[in-house]
Amino acid sequence: MSIRNDGAGQDVLRRVGEASVLILISLAGGPKHGYALIQDIKELAGVELGPGTLYGALDRLERLDLIESLPADDRRHPYRITAPGAEALRVHLDSLERVSAAGRLRLRLSGI
Amino acid sequence: MGGPRMTRLVAVALRCYPARWRRRHGDEAAELAALLIRDGAAPCSIAMSYLAGAAREWLVPRPGRRLSTVTCVLLVAACSVGASAGLLASAVPARAASTGNPGGHAHCLPGSSAHAPGLAGQGTGFAGQGTGGATPATGRSQVIVWAAGHGQPC
Repeated sequence: MSIRNDGAGQDVLRRVGEASVLILISLAGGPKHGYALIQDIKELAGVELGPGTLYGALDRLERLDLIESLPADDRRHPYRITAPGAEALRVHLDSLERVSAAGRLRLRLSGI
Repeated sequence: MGGPRMTRLVAVALRCYPARWRRRHGDEAAELAALLIRDGAAPCSIAMSYLAGAAREWLVPRPGRRLSTVTCVLLVAACSVGASAGLLASAVPARAASTGNPGGHAHCLPGSSAHAPGLAGQGTGFAGQGTGGATPATGRSQVIVWAAGHGQPC
């Protein structure tokens, strides 16, 4: 299943869940297999992904063509972010940044 | 402490996934679980994570999976829950009947003056009143006597 990520900058990661976004961010630093992903995400975001959550998110991202599986190294399958995956991540992070900036501005204006 | 048993639990959880998933991720998932356990993760939480993942795999419709398969899985799950509830419901009266043995442990019963410390201390006089329990207040006290009586060596 391919995704539509037209030039308009549609945020396809809005509904995939936090785990998928964290995996994409981790893979943006280079290909990794499951164990390395869990370790990297723990270091990066302080989130401990359960292995069941990890494989569910990896399958979903692969079906969306946002990541791809590389040839197995021993029993481990490394995954790599694809070009549409990188673009989707960029759009999602931009969107988060806009929301974050708006939130900070409102907090400042309301003086809370 | 229970290491091999917990590892078996992880293996059982992995067997809950569909065959297609196991062919693709099975070996790697088992290795990942072993690495995480080695790092100090609780095997139980790993097994639970895999169980939740397996449930999602079965229940979330995939493009290649027919809806009837998902419906069947849901039906089987519902039936097992119903059967378990039925078994539990039938076991409760049986257990109640087996514990209420008035002939063998008469001194533990409500109304017996032998072991009713809670009531005797309160000076309510219920301990010597027999098991009539006609009024609501008497019924409530009898429950207390039951609880107190079962704490005693009968």
